[in-house]
Amino acid sequence: MAEIEKVEYWRWKESNWKNPDIPDWRGSLITAGIDIGSTSTQAVIMADGIPYAYSNMRTGSNSPDSAINAINWAMKDTGLTLEDITYTIGTGYGRVNVPFSNKTVTEITCHSRGANFIYGPSIRTILDMGGQDCKAIHCDENGAVTSFMMNDKCAAGTGRGMEVIANLLAVRVEDIGKMSFEIDEEPPPVSSTCVIFAKSEATKLMRAGWTKEKVLAAYCHAMALRVVRLLERNGMELDFAITGGIAKNIGVVKRIERLMGVTALEPKWDTQIAGAAGAALIAKDLVERKRAKEAVAAK
Amino acid sequence: MSYQKLFETKVSGEAAKAWQAQGKKAVGYVCCHVPEEIFYAADVLPIRLRATDCVDSSDAETWMTSFSCSFARSILQYLIDGTYKLDGLVQTDGCMMPARIMDNWEHISKKEGKDQFTHFIGAPRITNDISTGFYKSELQELVDAISKFSGVEVTDERLKAAIAKTNEMRSLMDQVYALRTAEKPVVSGAEVLSIALAECDHHIDDYIQMLKDFLADAKNRKPIEARSRLMIIGSALDNPEYIKVIEEKGGIVVADDLCFGYRAFGPQLEVDDSDVLGSIAKYYLKRNVCPRSLDNRPAMHKEIIDMAKKYNVQGVIYQKMQNCECWGGEAYYLEPDLKAIGVPMLQLEREEHMANAGQLAVRAEAFIEMLEK
Repeated sequence: MAEIEKVEYWRWKESNWKNPDIPDWRGSLITAGIDIGSTSTQAVIMADGIPYAYSNMRTGSNSPDSAINAINWAMKDTGLTLEDITYTIGTGYGRVNVPFSNKTVTEITCHSRGANFIYGPSIRTILDMGGQDCKAIHCDENGAVTSFMMNDKCAAGTGRGMEVIANLLAVRVEDIGKMSFEIDEEPPPVSSTCVIFAKSEATKLMRAGWTKEKVLAAYCHAMALRVVRLLERNGMELDFAITGGIAKNIGVVKRIERLMGVTALEPKWDTQIAGAAGAALIAKDLVERKRAKEAVAAK
Repeated sequence: MSYQKLFETKVSGEAAKAWQAQGKKAVGYVCCHVPEEIFYAADVLPIRLRATDCVDSSDAETWMTSFSCSFARSILQYLIDGTYKLDGLVQTDGCMMPARIMDNWEHISKKEGKDQFTHFIGAPRITNDISTGFYKSELQELVDAISKFSGVEVTDERLKAAIAKTNEMRSLMDQVYALRTAEKPVVSGAEVLSIALAECDHHIDDYIQMLKDFLADAKNRKPIEARSRLMIIGSALDNPEYIKVIEEKGGIVVADDLCFGYRAFGPQLEVDDSDVLGSIAKYYLKRNVCPRSLDNRPAMHKEIIDMAKKYNVQGVIYQKMQNCECWGGEAYYLEPDLKAIGVPMLQLEREEHMANAGQLAVRAEAFIEMLEK
């Protein structure tokens, strides 16, 4: 009997990248940020505050291993070793589990700074849609947090919820956004209170004869509604942008834009690296501040 | 008695047990709209009910839905599972969900054949002469009922003697709070909440002595370094562990507006000898304890702002119990007022059970990072 191929529809593409415009990192201030989220882990290496290399992969069951794997993958083919990194900041829910970090900073502070880098200084409202939580953040022109709000205790409206639906409907997670618009008219949202309820509701709708596209539209709609409530509670100030894995899903992004009556800025970088990029930039600031202080003391 | 008992946050039945062993009555109450002075005047030990450390309220969920206030539900749990072994319960309609503790406890105790003294006080939500008069008549009914129950007649003289003690306690607590105005306070927010909670289940004489001993020793305590000065406000908070999680992230809570904290003590109760019970009614009804009152909210908000200034607070943490009726919408009004004096506010939702310490920690840490910039 032929073995049935098991497709992991939820599995998004892991990646690493090296900046082709920086031929040699030597002589630069090298800092790193490691963002261990509940679902994904990123390592960003900056050379004088410019991204030099990064990796983006799934978080395994062991956070210290995830951190090591991520930094090793980012450093691959760069000639860098951990000793070459002057300062590393750990962030994300697993931030205390980065064995080689010099300091930890919360993902809220790091995402704010990272969004400022990815979208530019005009950004004022950030919606970070992560693996298992969601944050609405306000920041100033320097990327410093001025207020924030996080969702509570629920994975609905997050990356993990989207992975569950991808598997349920046998649709690759990266295709969900596009497919969710292949419908005649927007269906009402599914339950937005809980991933489990949304899953059973989606199953019911499939049995009732809805197409996959229509179910996906209802799910993306529900997810957008849920985060819009968070945005409304924290207030909307332009410019607005989304970070995290869900920022890559146009099915959710476009619906959030429609519900809020705003347009999200286009990212210049992978939206999943915002937290780690912010951490690496904060690391650079800390080193520079320390060096400036030492220089003053030396005089 | 060592003052270390001030820092034992677990609900203790010791004082009640010792009191009952003398053939006297120990009665629980919910909400600080129940004047303790009346209990002491009747030689009854008042135990303010709380649900600190309650991790499972499944017995109480049989009577109160899981969509109710988990603080109220957890107190009912402690009554059902025998954590509290008391002779009765006095309750006000301070807020609606805890008022259901009384309804259920009356029924459950009767069903289980427990002999319980129960009494309900109506506490008006507006403060004028008519409502104060009504509240006084409600307190008079409590005086009559509790005198009959304990066999000790509550007289004006006995009430005045009780007021003298509660006023002494209030003035000592003022001294504890004064320690928090220092640049580097010698007492943490979690410790102050523990001290305040100890009042709930100790006799006032023991409590006063412990406060005196603590204050005498306070100068030997080490000043606490912190990244930012915080104030905590919101729903009934009876768990110092909650504040400890915040303080472990580098902040120090230097002020509060909690009904288990400063609001449980407040300023001196001034007595008019010609109307002692009326003085108690006026004092308890006019305190700006909780947004339950419809006409004191602007005054209460002003007091929060003044307190933030007095304690040199950099950020306010507004914690709201899920399904809290009283604190449900205050953030909407408070946040702009605090913003106007340059103090940001962090809004948090919580339940009685400390199941979300990790989520609390990340929010608290991010807030402290935000204040540091």
